Amino acid sequence: MIEYVFILPVLGGLMALFLPTTLGRGLLIITAFLHLQLTVLGWLGKLTPAFINFFKVTPEGMLVLLVTSFIFALISIYAVAYVSETGLKNEPVFICCMLLFLGTMSMVALSDHPIVLWISIEATTLVSAPLIFIKRSKEALEATWKYVMICSVGIALALLGCFFITLSMDIGNVDVPLSFSSLNQVAKQLDPLWLKAGFVFVIIGFGTKMGLAPMHTWLPDAHSQAPSAVSALLSGALLNCAFLGIYKVHALMNVAGLGAFSSNVLIGFGLFSVLVAGIFILNQPDYKRMLAYSSIENMGVIAFGVGVGGIAGYGAILHLIHHSLLKSSLFLSSGNILLGFGTKLVPKVGNMVKLFPKTFVSFFAGFAGISGFPPFGIFISEILIIIGAFQAGRYVSVGVLIFGLILVFAGAARIVMDISFGETSQEVLIKEKFFRIMPSFVLLLTSIGLCIWIPDGIYQKILHTIQIIGGGIHG
Amino acid sequence: MTHITDAVLVIILLSVLLSLGSNRLKALVEIMALQGIMVSLVPLLLEYKAEVHHGGIIFFQIMILIKGVLIPWLLYMAVQRIAIKREVEPIIGYHASLLAGLVVIFVSTIVTQKLHLTLAAGRELLLITAITTLAAGLFLMMSRRKAITQVIGYLMLENGIYLTGTALTKQSHTLYVVEFGVLLDLLVGVMIMGIILHNIKDAFDDVDTTFLGSLKD
Repeated sequence: MIEYVFILPVLGGLMALFLPTTLGRGLLIITAFLHLQLTVLGWLGKLTPAFINFFKVTPEGMLVLLVTSFIFALISIYAVAYVSETGLKNEPVFICCMLLFLGTMSMVALSDHPIVLWISIEATTLVSAPLIFIKRSKEALEATWKYVMICSVGIALALLGCFFITLSMDIGNVDVPLSFSSLNQVAKQLDPLWLKAGFVFVIIGFGTKMGLAPMHTWLPDAHSQAPSAVSALLSGALLNCAFLGIYKVHALMNVAGLGAFSSNVLIGFGLFSVLVAGIFILNQPDYKRMLAYSSIENMGVIAFGVGVGGIAGYGAILHLIHHSLLKSSLFLSSGNILLGFGTKLVPKVGNMVKLFPKTFVSFFAGFAGISGFPPFGIFISEILIIIGAFQAGRYVSVGVLIFGLILVFAGAARIVMDISFGETSQEVLIKEKFFRIMPSFVLLLTSIGLCIWIPDGIYQKILHTIQIIGGGIHG
Repeated sequence: MTHITDAVLVIILLSVLLSLGSNRLKALVEIMALQGIMVSLVPLLLEYKAEVHHGGIIFFQIMILIKGVLIPWLLYMAVQRIAIKREVEPIIGYHASLLAGLVVIFVSTIVTQKLHLTLAAGRELLLITAITTLAAGLFLMMSRRKAITQVIGYLMLENGIYLTGTALTKQSHTLYVVEFGVLLDLLVGVMIMGIILHNIKDAFDDVDTTFLGSLKD
């Protein structure tokens, strides 16, 4: 029964509310690693869904699940080190919400029924909201309020989109159970007009959650105000889950023969996100907001790649994996910088190379990776996406994309150079510790490792994922 | 039976207009309770001919309980705690809001006719009501400053979306477990919003969203 993948963290999370803090910390790490094992069992095909109406093992879902589980296991180590050093007022709530967050994200990855998918994505918003305002500062409150309101309204529109898809079934006189897998089989009979309307609402709704511009406004606030372990999860895992919702509908559109429409919408939103991120990153005074805008840019790149299809589809899925690894590593490093200097403002921090040599290595390497330098995976994925776009003949779009990427690189490079080598008068508050550095290095090394050798299982899953949108490694 | 359904729908439309013109927060919460109950009744009334099995009856009772009692009660507690009676200085005034509400009804009627859907008899008014509620919810969220009124706007939006779903889709797709999940999300959502509201009140001594503007680029 693969449902254990989300039942286990949910039960663990509820239990954590009643446990003393030390036990709760242990529970967080144990549950995270048990979850990773369950995920691996799921990959090996040992687990099958019990509620086949609602859940299904799909290649795209399993990829997202594996990424989520892997980075959560590492982030849980960081989070425990973080809370034991700094102390949180509501630690049981923090641990409970972390585990519930993992549970709801796993549920997203397994959902096959559109409304169940919707329920789980809305649930991720609700259980992650307390994580963002766990510090209870005025800014954190504001960020949480915006996050909950903007995402709830956005996701509510996605529910409307799901209803339109159901309507397209009724008009087409299709009588199958409401689930993505059975809809894919009868896609040609669905009413195209309402399917299109459904897709538009779904991409606006889940796109809000994924951080596509112009619905991204909650994202920089939430990512910069949340504790760094939470920011890493938001960026590395949550955005993928929202993307999964869009991807499933995009796949349905492709099977229904409306792929051209949904591709163009995805490419449009993708390019706009990259450009908006590039503009806002240029004079960004806050390094955590800089990372948040970089997430918006990368989500844009993924949407663009999926929209282009072909070899770019392969690149997009690869991009998703590597972005999760590198960005969560970057957020964890930024957490060390924040603990060390006590400020998020770039002008006040500096000289990291002397004061925090290990964090400097992980932060700088993460920056190199996210900007697309080898030996990290984003180098390959971005090249594949650009090649794919050229093959598809989208010369103008690819020009805009490259221009946006350059803008983001220019903005981010200035900030990273300032932090690393600039002057600072700030005193070091908390030194770097092994358990807060090890996770970011493991994440970076995984990205390098996946670049050199990609396990056949993962390779096959990616190919299966993009098959439905007409993607493949041979273009 | 269609008369009763129509009467319920008209009550929902009136509740939308009332909420747009009302400035007392308590009255607003009461209107939402009424609207919640009426919205939960609509599918039951539409389905009276088809056999509603036991699961359905229990589900609709739970829905009335959540939408008509629990959520309004949570809102009521929030209004009590924040000790604000009125929404003063809305971004768009009450008379203008009422007028906007009327325009929304007019536009929804046109939209419903233009869609050329072959709706079952009696569902035209349902779709008009649904679109009006949805749009008025969005309008309320954008035109008011107090955070609590925005929560109420969100609830109205959700009611509108639920009605749209009822109007457009066949009941045979409805799985009560799934519907219950949606309701649970809504309930937890309002609870979380309530907690944040409480904290906003503690931190700023007001729930005006104009205070929530310090994070920007």
